[in-house]
Amino acid sequence: MSSILSIRNLRGGYSEVDILNGLDLDLAPAEILVVAGTNGAGKSTLAKAVLGLLPRLSGTVSLAGDDITRLPVEARARAGIGYVPQVSNVFPSLSITENLAVVEGVTGQKARIEEMFVLFPALAARRRSRAGSLSGGERQQLAFARALMTRPRVVVLDEPTAALSPALVEESFARIASLAATGAAVLLIEQRARQALAIAHRGAILDGGRVAMSGSAETLLADDRAAALYLGQQH
Amino acid sequence: MISFAELALNGIVSGLVIGLAALAVTLVFGIARFANAATGDVMTLGAYAALSGAGLTGSLVLGGLFGAAAGAVVGLIGYWLVFRKLGGRSSVAALLASIGVAFMIRAVMGVAFGHGQKVFPMPMVRPWRILDIRVHPNDVNLCAVVLVTLAIVFAILHLTPIGRQMRAVADDPSLARVSGISPQKVMMALWALAGAVSGVAGTVVGIKTVVSPEMGWELLLPAFAAAILGGIGHAGGAIVAGIALGIVQEVATPFVGFTYKIALSFVVLLAVLLVRPKGLFGTVAGAR
Repeated sequence: MSSILSIRNLRGGYSEVDILNGLDLDLAPAEILVVAGTNGAGKSTLAKAVLGLLPRLSGTVSLAGDDITRLPVEARARAGIGYVPQVSNVFPSLSITENLAVVEGVTGQKARIEEMFVLFPALAARRRSRAGSLSGGERQQLAFARALMTRPRVVVLDEPTAALSPALVEESFARIASLAATGAAVLLIEQRARQALAIAHRGAILDGGRVAMSGSAETLLADDRAAALYLGQQH
Repeated sequence: MISFAELALNGIVSGLVIGLAALAVTLVFGIARFANAATGDVMTLGAYAALSGAGLTGSLVLGGLFGAAAGAVVGLIGYWLVFRKLGGRSSVAALLASIGVAFMIRAVMGVAFGHGQKVFPMPMVRPWRILDIRVHPNDVNLCAVVLVTLAIVFAILHLTPIGRQMRAVADDPSLARVSGISPQKVMMALWALAGAVSGVAGTVVGIKTVVSPEMGWELLLPAFAAAILGGIGHAGGAIVAGIALGIVQEVATPFVGFTYKIALSFVVLLAVLLVRPKGLFGTVAGAR
């Protein structure tokens, strides 16, 4: 399998304590991979390591075969890693159009902004509004559009449904499912593992900063051990 | 009544200058996230550069451009040598470092130009009389300079890609980085812009009053006050608050005397902050 994102023996954390303990993970092009696990398993830390936001890190992160482990955050973004944070995912004082135009490393910027407005029509109607005036669901659409501006090869989504009202969760998953059609691979960090696996190709369940189980979405959904230990019975 | 109108007019001029200085303070605060105490002394440096430039070229306009350029260069040097290294440290460390930078600039100005007062060679012009109010043509010109400077700054912030990126970093620095925005590029643009604004402000003060090594330092507190009154980080607020403080100071002078007029502007500041803790235009606190 030729992976677009390849993570090898990742270790590191915020202070002296390692949160990631030798994590390996591969993401295929246009694949949706769910990363699940209990709180503290290292899900968000993994996202930060991929983005370059983790202060201390060893191991390698490769994007399409290029080692990006030492690249600063902004260079990784321009190299093709899009990111949708859980909260604070828009620039509130900038207009919707400005939120998209501010992204660096976009070729054919004006046309790309219009493409985003086709993809997210709700934003097009309010393109001059300040992003701070948007609802939670609209903000997430803008955050998706901003992350897609660079035509990223990988999009990292950090618990995209955690801050949304229950009514919006399904809509959000549908939006994530449609991301694969843009050609981007999706690394989906998610608490709602069952719902996430339903739209994903594969899943990886973290425990103690390592991948404890991984496999196709169907296999994980059917696996009793995964269900009992990591997925939660209800969600 | 007429003398009050003249005082108010004078207040607008000095208020615009305070507003310009407050704009430099608030830009740095909004993006680099600390109160830059060197703003006043960069103004002083700008005034001296403008004075030298005007002396060399015989043109006040060219002198003013010298002042702006010198402010921008010193802003960049200060960033590169000092504030860049303090990135990620507490804002108190940066504030104290900026006080150090301020003292250094003032000392260099004192050594280079002496401690005496200098004046710009301004032609004597008879004031206009409009509705019996005396209006000095120089004041009108200075107002025009300030307004043009403001227009340029707002155009940069709102109409250019780098301005948009500066506002994005002010909103959320880490989201800006994951959007591919280089913090260093934005910081260099910020320091050049804030330095140029300070340089113009210093030149205007120098033309309106006198140039001395202490001139900028003395304006620092009113500038801080205007930045806070306008809502820290809010560019438009800084200007409005600067004008308000300028008018209050001038109009109050007949009642409280020259010595206490600065104190009065702080009374206004405290009164407003009691009612609106975020300042006149501030919304949520910018700092996270």
